[in-house]
Amino acid sequence: MPSGDTPAITVRGVTKSFPLGDGRTLPVLDVEHLTFAAGSCTVVKGRSGSGKTTLLNLIAGVSLPTTGAITVHDVNITALPEAERDRFRAQHVGYVFQTYNLLSAFSALENVMLAMMFAGAVPARDRRRRATDLLQRLGLGPRLSHKPHRLSRGEAQRVAIARALANDARVILADEPCASLDARTARDVLAEFLAVARDPGRTLIVVSHDDVMLESADHVLDMAMINRVPSSLPVVESVR
Amino acid sequence: MTHLTVAMRYLEGRAVASVLTAVSIALGVALVIATSLLSRGIKQSFVEGTTDYGLVVGAKGSPTQLVLNVVFRLASPTPNILFGTYETLRDDARVDVAVPVAMGDAFHGFRYVATTRDYFAAFPWRRKTFTVATGRLFRDDALDDPGYEAVVGADAARVAGLKVGDRFYEGEEMAEYPLTVVGILRATRSPDDAAIFFSVPSYWAMNEIARKMPQKPLTAVLVRAKKMSDLPALHRELNVSADTQAVFPSAILLTIFNLLGLADQVLRIVLAIVAVVVLLYVFLSMWSATLARRREIATMRALGASRVTILMLVLLESCAISFIGGAVGVVVGHAVAYVGAHLLAGRGFVTDPFAIGALQPAVFAGVVLLGVAAALVPAVLAYRTDVAEHLAPLS
Repeated sequence: MPSGDTPAITVRGVTKSFPLGDGRTLPVLDVEHLTFAAGSCTVVKGRSGSGKTTLLNLIAGVSLPTTGAITVHDVNITALPEAERDRFRAQHVGYVFQTYNLLSAFSALENVMLAMMFAGAVPARDRRRRATDLLQRLGLGPRLSHKPHRLSRGEAQRVAIARALANDARVILADEPCASLDARTARDVLAEFLAVARDPGRTLIVVSHDDVMLESADHVLDMAMINRVPSSLPVVESVR
Repeated sequence: MTHLTVAMRYLEGRAVASVLTAVSIALGVALVIATSLLSRGIKQSFVEGTTDYGLVVGAKGSPTQLVLNVVFRLASPTPNILFGTYETLRDDARVDVAVPVAMGDAFHGFRYVATTRDYFAAFPWRRKTFTVATGRLFRDDALDDPGYEAVVGADAARVAGLKVGDRFYEGEEMAEYPLTVVGILRATRSPDDAAIFFSVPSYWAMNEIARKMPQKPLTAVLVRAKKMSDLPALHRELNVSADTQAVFPSAILLTIFNLLGLADQVLRIVLAIVAVVVLLYVFLSMWSATLARRREIATMRALGASRVTILMLVLLESCAISFIGGAVGVVVGHAVAYVGAHLLAGRGFVTDPFAIGALQPAVFAGVVLLGVAAALVPAVLAYRTDVAEHLAPLS
């Protein structure tokens, strides 16, 4: 279990269950205590269905735990009203999805600027310049005006990485960012991701099984060790 | 990048659907604008085109047909009355002014109206004033000495290309009796703009049947009584006669307005159906767009967009497309009204296809509000999108 002097993220007594619609629930996560040190890079690995994505979604505040609390930089995000949680996430958490999730109607540049618009942290006049800088650092200078359908998978994931970094978030979550890429592209993209994202003031949590990532991580977290709900063997209980 | 930019990008992103939605809105708005302008124009034409005379006297038959034909140049002419009827009325002590009118054929669709100069006289009680733009009025000929001088209404002169000094006739059989333009009238915004006037004796000479008749014919006589109180008696006497009828034009105008009111009600129902169809189209367009976009909505939420922001984006998108469709519709509506006004001008109606008033802002605001209303349910669907569920990797 990763730990450090100053935890950026604390997960305490967190469980997550999904309703099945027939009065029963499907528990997917049960974590007693987990911390992520500020500035650390943690790789989360585990079998399919082991709760990796659920954990990231909970840390991002995209969904709420059934029980327990999550603290990100001393803010108990599980106690925040939804609108404040959205604002907190926009400003402090960057999220890289497995399938990029770029917005199809927008160019590479606009995808990055959009994240800044939602957060409102970067002044409007600086957004274009900052987005351009980020994309250029990721080798996408000639692709700024390209829409997602005109980008290769590697390029699309680089745009997604730039978007996650757009607001200079202190926490970056990446959910198998290279799972959709071939081995060579995945290696290149991961290397570039680490080059631009690693920063002493930034905490990285990356779901990955890639060797490059595992070698670069400060900590490796196996879901099988922290999640008391066994993967692929759902336990069904009644809703109280 | 602003929220409006985001909405516009989404509209561009589904260009075909957006264009079809905008076109359906534009067609609905154009229909409302064009029909409103034209129906208002028709009503206005009836009001402005109505005669200042208190009675229209013609042959027995339909009073509406008589007024429509003699005053508004619509409908087919009624049977003739004798010129003697005019002479009797002219000499009646109770009558201030009597003007004979004979409706003839047409030149390039512009109706021939045979009358006297009194038709154009600026009596103190007249609302309508006639002035000659170029040339002069035709001479009042002696009954047996036709002058074939014509005064042409403004629209007729413009469209038929007639100018002072031109000689014209329609049909080879009329080549013997060409009319000579001696004056062009200024526009009066009435059916008279689309008429060609000349003397009654010229009409009799040009008309083969009239030439052979010992008692010369007329279509009608316009009558102004010296005292309003004499009108009922005149009306009664003329209607008792076996050959004539007298009609109050104002009463016919009321009948016409009642008919137009009925048409207006039907039109309102049609427009309401159009509005509902457009509303449904916008709703379906926004609903399907929102359903197809739920993963992107979830992504935006994950990027920090609040539920309210997502709701506003959907409403803004619908508002934008309604705005575009509405603006195009207003322009197209005026264009359709312009074409319609040309067609109606041929029937003697003078409408202003570019009249700007409360109609345009009201329709425009209405369509934008309808657009927003149509997007409310899709917006709520977007608002309620479950982020984690729709962020799941695609299989």
